[in-house]
Amino acid sequence: MTRPRLALAFALLALAPLAARALSPEEVRRVVKTVDERQRNAGDWRSLCYMEAKEKDKSDVVYELTVFRRSSDQKFMLLFDKPRSEQGKGYLRIEKNLWFYDPGVGRWERRTERERIGGTDTRRGDLDESRLAEEYDAVWEGDGKLGAYQVHRLLLTVKPGVDVAFPQIRLWVDQATHNVLKRQELALSGKLMRTSLYPRWKKLHSESKKGDVWFPEEMRFYDEIEKANQTLILVRSVDLRALDPNLFTKAWLEAKSR
Amino acid sequence: MLATDLLISARNLARHTRRNLFLGGAIALVTALLVLLGGLTAGIREAMLDSATTIMTGHVNVGGFYKITSGMAGALVTRYPEVLADVRRHVPELSFVAVRGRGYAKAVADTGSMNLVLAGIDVAAEPRFREVVQLQAGSLDALREPGTILLFEDQAKRLGVGVGDAFTLSAPTARGVNNTADVRVVAVAKSVGLLSSFHAFVPAGEIRRLYQLRADNTGALHLFLRNPAQAARVAARLRDDLAHDGWKVMDADPQPYWQKFQRVNSEDWTGQRLDVTTWEDELSFLTWILSALQGLTGLLATVLMVIVVVGIMNTLWIAIRERTREIGTLRAIGMQRRKVLWLFVLEAALLAVLGTAAGALLGWGVAAAVNRVHVAVPTAVQFFLMQRHLTLSLHGLTVLRDAGGIALVTTLAAFYPARRAARLEPVTAMHHIG
Repeated sequence: MTRPRLALAFALLALAPLAARALSPEEVRRVVKTVDERQRNAGDWRSLCYMEAKEKDKSDVVYELTVFRRSSDQKFMLLFDKPRSEQGKGYLRIEKNLWFYDPGVGRWERRTERERIGGTDTRRGDLDESRLAEEYDAVWEGDGKLGAYQVHRLLLTVKPGVDVAFPQIRLWVDQATHNVLKRQELALSGKLMRTSLYPRWKKLHSESKKGDVWFPEEMRFYDEIEKANQTLILVRSVDLRALDPNLFTKAWLEAKSR
Repeated sequence: MLATDLLISARNLARHTRRNLFLGGAIALVTALLVLLGGLTAGIREAMLDSATTIMTGHVNVGGFYKITSGMAGALVTRYPEVLADVRRHVPELSFVAVRGRGYAKAVADTGSMNLVLAGIDVAAEPRFREVVQLQAGSLDALREPGTILLFEDQAKRLGVGVGDAFTLSAPTARGVNNTADVRVVAVAKSVGLLSSFHAFVPAGEIRRLYQLRADNTGALHLFLRNPAQAARVAARLRDDLAHDGWKVMDADPQPYWQKFQRVNSEDWTGQRLDVTTWEDELSFLTWILSALQGLTGLLATVLMVIVVVGIMNTLWIAIRERTREIGTLRAIGMQRRKVLWLFVLEAALLAVLGTAAGALLGWGVAAAVNRVHVAVPTAVQFFLMQRHLTLSLHGLTVLRDAGGIALVTTLAAFYPARRAARLEPVTAMHHIG
């Protein structure tokens, strides 16, 4: 071996530990499962959300809403508290159907599960439990840095027969905590539609889970098609105590607006 | 005998030229005004039918909804070649069929965005489209290429795009999965009012790509009949025939398809249901314009007719007062009361016929002049009138009906004073000093 070639071989050997090691499919599955597991509550959930939506050529709107969840049967309900014009409106998921109630007309309307909540860039899934492992197959795209964090970059593709809003998702998962720090959602055409940032995560001890439940305290959604549109969600006052067994009913939601 | 009576009436009218000219002129003006208003309403209706049956509807439509789950409906006709074959069998009145894709998407350009109702079209198969849609820029033939779009001038302005520019269409597929399509503007058409403010055209294949539809799926079959007046009858019959063939057909609901999503989504069924509508159903959200105009015409007609009735009664009262001694003499030499009544009514009828005939001619002339000089409609009004140039559409029968109605009311108004004249006692009448 000539001297320059030998030098190159040594250099490559020296740099080898710095190069990212590809995660095996099993490791990728484990990462995605961990992402879900950390957010899983295995019980009831109640939280207060502040949602601020900015849209081009429109005045900003701020919603205050209460989110109710029950892990056992994947129940989900949203109740708008503010502004006054939205007060009493709500979404309720019964089995696979998402229903919307408007007290102004006193009528329930069936909506798609991928409905934009309150016309903003927020979807039901953003406020519900994470079910990435159930809905998507993931592949490792690379490791890298996102700001100060060392992250895994994963590409998730929807499993056949599963209906989701975005057929492909790219995740930046913090290697240290397995919290999602950044998420990109792609359309069927492959075009980037939305980028989400999760800068603050918080944990709470859950009696039902007998462990910690992690949740993003702040979520920022950026519309990549209409660049000027963005939504900020702040999650506050999370309560993991058991909710009234009859809470997830149309009658309960209707009663709140009377 | 009638000729003699008419001659007497005409002479009486001629004796009071000024008064009768004034009254006849008023009748003529009212007639002309009503004829023009009728022409405007008919013009709008015809423009609406013309642009609507090019842009968004056939005379009869076979559309429908396909639901994957009971809460998620898509405006789709699946297995459309089979539906089309059945339609052709059941509608002998058919002139031609346009197969159109239906969609709704958000259009996002660099400087603007808006929601668009998309129509998937095969321009080669729709020669009428070429006749009605007037291009401002670009080429209709280019709309055959995939990834292209035709916009109307207001949409292009709002999105800040022109021919050659590209922008993104974003919409969920029939399964609710987000999808996008980048399209290039190949043609910008002149606006044709309200309908062109939110309708845009893409090649049929583009709709299938955006919504991930199979080749045998489409939005609706637009049926064009040889006689559009038969639309309601054909639609009702076709609804029954398709149901008889085994297709699930929705009950008649006079609303455009996009207003039915809420109801359809709340119903507990899945699969395909066909919906047969007429052009009037699809345009029901616009009929308020015609109703408002017809209401205004009706109100104006009533006010004007009251004025004419009061005028004619007043004129006859004066005439009777002036001719009381004459009436007395006629009665004294043997003229029957019925004959006196007849002469006065005939006089009024003659005035009414002459007045309405002059008014109809005047209205017709003004309408022809307006149509000839192409009066430009202000942009804001174009939106509702669906016309770029004011077009008054007059039909002989309609004009005859309006003029006849006014003449009849005027004649009837003369009946009461004429009856009073006929009731005068000859002796009293002859001694009358007036």
